[in-house]
Amino acid sequence: MNKDILVIGGGIAGMQSSLDLADMGVKVHLVEKLPSIGGKMAQLDKTFPTNDCAI
Amino acid sequence: MLDVGRHPNISLMAYSEIEKVEGHEGNFTVTVRRKKRYVDEAKCTGCGACAEKCPTSVPDAFNTGLGTRKAIYSYFAQGIPSTHTIDPDFCRQLNGKKCGICQKTCQADAIDFDQEDKIVELDVAGIIIAAGYDVFDPSQIPEYRYSELPNVLTALEFERLLSASGPTDGHLDLPSDRAVEAEIKALEKKIGKSKRMLEKFEKKFDESSKQFYEKYNKGDYSDDKDRKKWADKYAEYLAIMEPLEDLKKKAESFTTAKRLAFIQCVGSRDFRFYPFCSGYCCMHSIKEAIIAHEHENETTSRIFGMDIRAIGKGFEEYKIRGGNNSNITYVRGRVGEISQGPNNNPVVTYEDTHERLVKSQEFDMVILATACVPTIGIIELAKILGVELDKYNFIKTSPFSPVDTNVPGIFACGCAGAPMDVPESVAQASSAAERAAEIAIQLRQVQNVQF
Repeated sequence: MNKDILVIGGGIAGMQSSLDLADMGVKVHLVEKLPSIGGKMAQLDKTFPTNDCAI
Repeated sequence: MLDVGRHPNISLMAYSEIEKVEGHEGNFTVTVRRKKRYVDEAKCTGCGACAEKCPTSVPDAFNTGLGTRKAIYSYFAQGIPSTHTIDPDFCRQLNGKKCGICQKTCQADAIDFDQEDKIVELDVAGIIIAAGYDVFDPSQIPEYRYSELPNVLTALEFERLLSASGPTDGHLDLPSDRAVEAEIKALEKKIGKSKRMLEKFEKKFDESSKQFYEKYNKGDYSDDKDRKKWADKYAEYLAIMEPLEDLKKKAESFTTAKRLAFIQCVGSRDFRFYPFCSGYCCMHSIKEAIIAHEHENETTSRIFGMDIRAIGKGFEEYKIRGGNNSNITYVRGRVGEISQGPNNNPVVTYEDTHERLVKSQEFDMVILATACVPTIGIIELAKILGVELDKYNFIKTSPFSPVDTNVPGIFACGCAGAPMDVPESVAQASSAAERAAEIAIQLRQVQNVQF
């Protein structure tokens, strides 16, 4: 049996899940429908409440 | 984003879709379709030379249609992976015309017009759904006239205008003005063509077109076929020149948007559409108003809402700071109608529920805080995975296990389950990662014992 995890969606939630799992030493397959990951958050200029850059 | 692309434990499959899922917790077999990009991922360096030379411009989805990109494109400048993709709907070569410029330009020899979809099979122990959400389409609300009034935008469109990497380099140019500027550009192109044609005639007959046209109109050269052509061309030229000059005069008075209106609960908390609160839109509008004010200090913003829901850590302070420092006023009341005012300026008619009066006010731009609605693809994805959806088509979860779906081993996080903001999405994502890791790590321990 394989111990990998599949993550569907490469937005902020998918990226965070993938990174957490990968840092735990679990292999992750991240599948995204669009040509690049980033999702809606990449379209945002800044994020509240700190006005940090979204990318 | 960069970390995801670089991490040795993450295999990234962008431009791919899930086709089939079989099996159970601890042992799923997943079929993934890797869609053809017509560009070899292993060879493409993401340099962008192809996109520079590509002759076909199309509306840019990343910039919510406000900008343009080429038929060969990277989804956005910092996108990971940076591999370019050919849009088969617009590419000249793929639509049977002669082109292939990108192929000739590409030094890495990455363009492959014969590429096919690839099917990949994965064996995984668990699945996390982080499929995200869609923005509510405000054209469903006729009284807001989103599709008729050019200066009524959604919050995400406004976000792209504000962005320094967006279609206006961060300036709040009005969409109505941008449409005029695009028209001027198109007419200038036509004029250029027409001028070149006239120059040929001028050279041939050694006379300026204007002088000739006066004489022609008096009745000279009426039998000359060539000169008749010249006169027709000059008439055409004049017919373009007149509207062009009018538009240019109009463009001189163009300014950026300074009076902004933000309308809350567009599609959400509305029994006609979605009764739930989308959660993040109040803060999103405040943030956009603060950033707009940072760009230009004269900007004033009015935020129209039933109430402002600032319930996260540091959110209420942010709201007050916006009111004190960024020229934001909060108006309690629902907007009944947006109508066309002078110079394409939208006029907002609303009820001020403090004063119990119906009022109207003109703005430069109106921004609609659109609801967070389930993404279209989620219905099919849920069918493939066998997970249940709730009545709105978000993934069904329960309050005490917010990332567990009805299928053991499949978890959901972020806006796929319910509307939420970035901090909450991140928290849920970590939670889903932990739930999935429980399975993966348990399996690893079992296997280690066996060996």
